[in-house]
Amino acid sequence: MALATVPKSAAGDATISRRRAANHSRARAQAIPFLLPALGLVAIMLLVPFAVTVYQSFTSDNGITSSFIGLQNYGDLINDPSFVRSLANTFMWTIGTLILPVGVGLLVAILTNSIPGGRWLRFAFVLPYAISGASTAVIWGFILRSDGALNQAIRFFGLTPPSSGWLLEWPNNTLVMIVANTWQATGVCVILFLVGLQAIPAETLEAGSLDGASGARLFWHIVFPQLRPVMIVVIGMSIANSLRVFDLIWLLTKGGPGSVSETLAVTMYRQTFILSDYGAGAAVAVVLAIIVVASSWLYLQRQLKKG
Amino acid sequence: MNGMRISLKWAGVTAAAVTLSLALGACTPGSSSTKDAGSGSITLNGDRSDFVAAYKIAGDALSKVGGSTIDPRNVPSTENYQQVIRSSLQTNSTTDLVKWWNGYRLQDLARSGGLEDLTTQWNDAVQKGWVSPETKDSFSYDGKVYGLPLYKSYWVMFYNKKVFDKVGIKPPTTWAEFMSNNDKIKTAGVAPLFSTQEAGWTSFIWFEEILSKLDPDFYAKLMKGDAKYTDPTAQKAMAIWSDMSAKGYFTPADTAWDSEPSLFQKGTVAQVPMGTWRNGTFTSNGMTSQDYGAYVLPMVDPGAKQSVIVESGVISVAAKAPHKDQALKTMDEWLNPDVQTPWVNKIKDTSANPKVITDDPTLKSVTDQVANTKPTELNRYWEASPPALIEGGVQILASFMVNPSQSNIAPTLDKLQSLADSEWAKWKAGK
Repeated sequence: MALATVPKSAAGDATISRRRAANHSRARAQAIPFLLPALGLVAIMLLVPFAVTVYQSFTSDNGITSSFIGLQNYGDLINDPSFVRSLANTFMWTIGTLILPVGVGLLVAILTNSIPGGRWLRFAFVLPYAISGASTAVIWGFILRSDGALNQAIRFFGLTPPSSGWLLEWPNNTLVMIVANTWQATGVCVILFLVGLQAIPAETLEAGSLDGASGARLFWHIVFPQLRPVMIVVIGMSIANSLRVFDLIWLLTKGGPGSVSETLAVTMYRQTFILSDYGAGAAVAVVLAIIVVASSWLYLQRQLKKG
Repeated sequence: MNGMRISLKWAGVTAAAVTLSLALGACTPGSSSTKDAGSGSITLNGDRSDFVAAYKIAGDALSKVGGSTIDPRNVPSTENYQQVIRSSLQTNSTTDLVKWWNGYRLQDLARSGGLEDLTTQWNDAVQKGWVSPETKDSFSYDGKVYGLPLYKSYWVMFYNKKVFDKVGIKPPTTWAEFMSNNDKIKTAGVAPLFSTQEAGWTSFIWFEEILSKLDPDFYAKLMKGDAKYTDPTAQKAMAIWSDMSAKGYFTPADTAWDSEPSLFQKGTVAQVPMGTWRNGTFTSNGMTSQDYGAYVLPMVDPGAKQSVIVESGVISVAAKAPHKDQALKTMDEWLNPDVQTPWVNKIKDTSANPKVITDDPTLKSVTDQVANTKPTELNRYWEASPPALIEGGVQILASFMVNPSQSNIAPTLDKLQSLADSEWAKWKAGK
């Protein structure tokens, strides 16, 4: 008690503060060796390739010889109608992936969480998530081709399937591929939303019910706000996944016919590995990277600030 | 004590870094492609898994005539394979031999300086009568030969004999008979002709077949950039293609390419236009000469001289091959009949050596037809123009297959010509 009443001198304060700062600096310095392997790996595996890709986008590179051409690859991309279509498809994929897997995932999680036997029902939605993208494409190829299961089923019911085919005309091909992706990607959304639903304290729901809230009102005012942290993760993941979708498109349409169903990831692959135009492919990669980083950063910054 | 702990940690970090660098080093292509070859073996890289056993058989035959045995590598995806070759050819990590394609695809690689000059080997083979000298251009760049033919595939129409017997038709000898056969097959409820754009490259097949049977000279000029896609002959070929589509002769444009052998075997589709390299797939599926045959598609104009599309895979020696002398010596004997006979009997295709007789009855019938009609041999579309023009061209042709109407002919040909103008300019500028 006596010690507490003794006034501290200004010099003493400064000494303690200096000592604390020194300790802090030493602790930080000692932490550096622990960070180095992780930093080194990020630099080697991510930053160096990115820097090389940015440089490559300023070159005319056929994989064998390379020459610096400045911004020409970017100029060519802007004037290429198939690149504009590819951007539009990427946008469609992003919107589609936000609405369908996230919306369907939320619906399935809520319904199967509240009905008896729901845990068994949700298996039907969760299991496709265990299937790889390539297998999903093969399965949906059997379904969607002109001689596939869907058209056979339509004929079985005495109807006429569309003459254009499901995978042959834009925007039908992009839309059906978004549906195929929804079938596969909904599972992870269901799992994450279930985690969120089960983390809501029963007391909160009980309090809401006692206050007279029920059904949709209980959901919108009590449940939905508490799903917010999970929603941030699910939407963030969906945005990133939609921007880098490749395997499903490549195996179902190869980005065609022509290039009508290409997204930026497919355009990047075609320019680089089919046309051997590594410079143009790198330019598409840079544009895609900027869109992915900018959209993720904007979204997360906004959401986390709100949180 | 504290200092000792820190130094132990540093030792741990250093050990981890060394382990990682060793692991990464072990992953480089060099370790797998150059050092593992057995004594006396040379390495070969390819993209056809069904050729791996045949390379070993050819290598055994080569070693008996003074060459080396072959230790084959395989990259299953053609796209990945092309990238692997393009990057590894510039380094010492390359294999000694590489499988490639002839025509402009070979020129593309040769002008980078990545391949060894094989003119001496070619001239020796010509002197011995092991290869036709008139095919030299499709293996050359700037007057020098950079690859020897791996095989020589003729593009023919495979037909299902059971369907033909059921419908009561025979292989056509004129274009009119071909069209009448298609009508009869269609009426019998069978798809007359296989066609798809699903695999990407397959969209050129019917454009190439119709144009080369309509006017072989024009086809050759168009492929060399000396004629235009918008010329009347190309328009006429597209009109024939459009008319055949309207008559319902073709399978849907999104038919899976992988399903072609089974559709053909089951008789769901009666005729398949394809290189004789596809013959091996049919035989390995259990089809025999009782089930299927092959004919060269007749000319549209009955008076015109017969033409046939040919395609050759290429075997080349890397300029930086680790066992270059051994590889070159082996290439001296590649076209030797003692090597070619077991090789083509294994891959079930025809040899570029005219002295090699195949033991496959369907292939024998093709070589007999070629010997009888002596057709003008034309390079396949895939290898006959600069690669970027072809890759863009197949995309445009795939779009036409989705909408093969008469009104879509002019826009399609305009796009092809515009692409040809820009890609030929780039090719000539060395880009």
